[in-house]
Formats: sequence, structure tokens, C-alpha cells
Amino acid sequence: MGAVTDDEVIRKRLLIDGDGAGDDRRINVLLKSFTKWCNSTGSPEEGFTQYQRMLGTLAQCEFSMGKTLLVYDMNLREMENYEKIYTDIEQNITSAHDKISECKKEIQRAKRIRKNRQEYDALAKVIQQHPDRHETLKQLEALDKELQQLSHIKENVEDKLELRKKQFHVLLSTIQELQQTLESNVTSEAPPHHNTSSSMLYGGKYTCGDHPPV
Amino acid sequence: MGPVEHLHMSVFSQSFSPCGRFLAAGNNYGEIAVFSLSSALSPDATDLSQTPILTFTAHEGPVFSLFSTDSHLLSAGNGEISAWSWAELIKRNTKAAWTRRPNYKSSLEIPEINAMTVNPTENSLVIGGGDNNIHIMDLESGVFKSVLQGHTDYIHCLSVREREGEILSGGEDGAVRIWDHRTGQSVHCIEVYKYEECARPQYGKWISCLTTESDWMLCGGGPSLSLWHLRSMSPTSIFPLSGCQRQANFYQDMILSVGEGQCVSHCLLGGEVKAQIPCTPHSLNTLALNLNSTDNRVLTVGGSSHQIDVFTNLSYRTFSLSF
Repeated sequence: MGAVTDDEVIRKRLLIDGDGAGDDRRINVLLKSFTKWCNSTGSPEEGFTQYQRMLGTLAQCEFSMGKTLLVYDMNLREMENYEKIYTDIEQNITSAHDKISECKKEIQRAKRIRKNRQEYDALAKVIQQHPDRHETLKQLEALDKELQQLSHIKENVEDKLELRKKQFHVLLSTIQELQQTLESNVTSEAPPHHNTSSSMLYGGKYTCGDHPPV
Repeated sequence: MGPVEHLHMSVFSQSFSPCGRFLAAGNNYGEIAVFSLSSALSPDATDLSQTPILTFTAHEGPVFSLFSTDSHLLSAGNGEISAWSWAELIKRNTKAAWTRRPNYKSSLEIPEINAMTVNPTENSLVIGGGDNNIHIMDLESGVFKSVLQGHTDYIHCLSVREREGEILSGGEDGAVRIWDHRTGQSVHCIEVYKYEECARPQYGKWISCLTTESDWMLCGGGPSLSLWHLRSMSPTSIFPLSGCQRQANFYQDMILSVGEGQCVSHCLLGGEVKAQIPCTPHSLNTLALNLNSTDNRVLTVGGSSHQIDVFTNLSYRTFSLSF
């Protein structure tokens, strides 16, 4: 215990001595001069001058003490100031970290958006190459109409063809019948009754007078 | 491994460990090297940390394809597939967990395996190789479930679309075939070289790189690298990259692609080439992105050199790992 406090005392004294080398010596000198002055046998003027000198050294000691107190205050305040700046900077660091992570998220989002936009653009390019849907629909409609018209015409033509076929068939069959009757006429020499019956077949278009029996 | 062998080494495949701290690379001598990424990326990395922590001969032939599942590293070489447990590899134990061989029709020549991928919904391994067929193996039982036939020449690359349950394969015959994994039938067949805007007849019609992401597909090789919209089966963008691309990946809003040419190309989906970052190997074969880990999020490329370039920031090459 005693050794520790001794060390402390020695350390403190060395520190203090390092700062104001004159102070400690000044106090010792003051004490010595005080004891000498108390035991002085000289004249009262000498005693007075000695007394003045002692007051002077005392004032000096007080002055240096005041100075060190002020320096101590200043150091305390500087420490506070530094503490404040330190906490400020720490806050700034954390907010910057937060901002950085926010920005990173933003950049991820923006990259995704960009990717989607590019995919959209790529597809749009392909789609643009194909013709417009309305136009193709219109073309289809026009083609449909044409098709309908053409099928109409085809039906009409087919009907006409059928009719003509039938008429020709009738004509040919009546000619054949006439041939047959004429042949039978030639063979049997029967009266030409068949002509009236055959004239009724084609509705009086061809009268008997036009086709005299051969 | 003398200096001459180093000169002639090509890195064909790469794969990251499931924890994201290790990289396995396979070369043309049949060796696999395991690198520790965490030590190579740490602030106090030395030259030694850029060499493998473990190198071993896995197969007799080149290791063309590597794939990592949750616990194992699958490597393909010389017509067979071996599985190595990652935990064992980290402890420097090079005993294979299992080795299997698909049923090849001819026993005379053993076709190489060019591409492997896993179909997670079915937990099956899809293998494509030199016998023009795709073999599907169940990972749990090890039984080869089915064979998809249709390609007329060997298969370069495979990709799996999980949501639609489709397997895509690209081959030397220039066709990208889309297979339904349940029926085993070829649903579509896109012959890329027949499309005028993609075709580059001076290079050929083979498809060497294929990758898919939701409705989009990237394919390239002989024809130019092109982005396809799979729903409409039409090419939407063609990338003006000289040289044949060997591997391409979608990453965020960009496309990263490597191939012939001493650079990694960054392209935008619209068809423009944004940047070409130079790297050490003269021609690149493989590109891998470590998305398993947040600390070691790097891009590594390997090719016709014994060095594998590592990019921590996509814009420039940070350092190289050496086989």
C-alpha cells in the first residue's frame, strides 16, 4: 500500500515538475525565505524588501496555479467538443450505410425494371414485323366477300349447265323416238298418229307441219 | 505436371460448392482442382492461396462437365459419371462416392459426356453426350430411367426449364430440341441455322451454348448468339459478337457470354454489346457465377490456359487462380 502511493506520489511529482520546473523550487524558496525572514536579524527595510519579495513569489505561484486551472477547464471543454464530433461522425456513418443499402436495393429494382423493359422491347420488335391485325382482318373480310360472290356465280353457272343438259337430253331423246317411229312407220306403213303424241311431249314448240314424215 | 503440360492445359468446366466457398475446375487431363475461394478473396491472401487446395485425377479422359448438387460434386469424363462428396473433398479425401455409366448401345467406342444438368422437380440427372442421345438418371436410385433420342449428331449443351418441365438440348446437328421430361418426346425442334438473321454459314450450324430463363432462351455457337422467345419460337435479338460463343448466362439485366476471343462480353437484352472485358486465356470455355454465397460473389472464367480468371467486380479481372 505504501509503495503504491509512493509510486503515485513520485509519478505525480515528476509530472508536475516537468510542467513548471520553477514552481516547486519557487515554493521551497518561498518557505526558506519565510523562515529566514521570520528569524531575520537585519534592518526593517531589508525585512520589508524581503517581505515584498515573498509576496511577489506568492503572487507568481498563484498566477501559475490560475493558469493551470484555466488550461484544465479548456481541456475538459475540448474533450466534450471532441466527444460531440465523434458521435456526430458515427451517426453520419450509420446513415451513410443505410443510404448505401437503400441505394443497392434501388439499383436491384432498377435492373429488374430495365430487364423487363428490354424483354418488352425485344418482343415488340418481333411483333412489329408481323402485319397489323386490323388490316389482316379487313383483307380477310374482302377475301370472304369475293369468295361468296364467286360461289354465287359458280352456283348460277352450274344451274344453267344443268338446265341446258336437261334440255339437250330431252331434245336428243325426242329425236331418237322420232327416228324410231319413222323406222316403225317405214316398216309398218301405219298412219302418222305418233306425231301428235310426240308433239305433245315438247309442248307444241315444234308443230307437225314443220316435220313432214319422210 | 511439367511446364509443357501446363502450357497445353485447357479448363473445360467449373462448379462452385453449395456453401459457395470452394471452386472445382476440370481440365483436359482428367484432373479436378479444388480452390478455396474464401482464402483467395481474403485480405491477407498470398500467392499460395491462388493455387488449388486439392488436385486429383478424376477420370481418364477430359472432364467436360461438372455439376454441384447440395452435397455432391458430379463430374463427367470418359463416358462415366462420378460423384464426390463436397465434405470429403474439403477434407482432401478423393474417394468417389459412386461412379455410373449410362447404357450405351455400342460397346466399342465410349462416347464422351459433354453436358450434365439436374432436373430438381424430378431429382434426376440429365446427361448429353457423344452418342446423340440424352440419358436421364434418377439421382436417388442411380437407375437410368429413360433415353431421349432425336438428335442426329452429338449433343453439346443442355438446359432445364423447371416450371414447364422441359429439357432443352443443343447439338452439333444445329437443332435445339425441346423435350417433355415425362413423355420423353421431342416437343419442338428449332433449327437455328435456318433463320437468316442468326445463321453464319462460315462457322457452321452447331449449337454450343444454351441457357434458359423463364420464357427466354439464349443459344449460339456456329450461328450468332441469339435471344429467343420460347412462347412464340421466334428470335428477338441477335448479338453481334465475332467468334463462336461457348457459354452464356443471364445475370440481372445483362447477358454474360464467353467463347472464342479473349474477353467476357456483357450484352443487353436488346442486342447491343455493352462491354468486353479482357482476360488471360485466349479462348474461353466456361463461365461460372457464384450465386450461392453472399461473401464470395464472383464470376470465374476458364479456357485454354491453366489460369482461371476471377472477377469480383464484373468490370475488371481481379486476379487469376492457377491450376
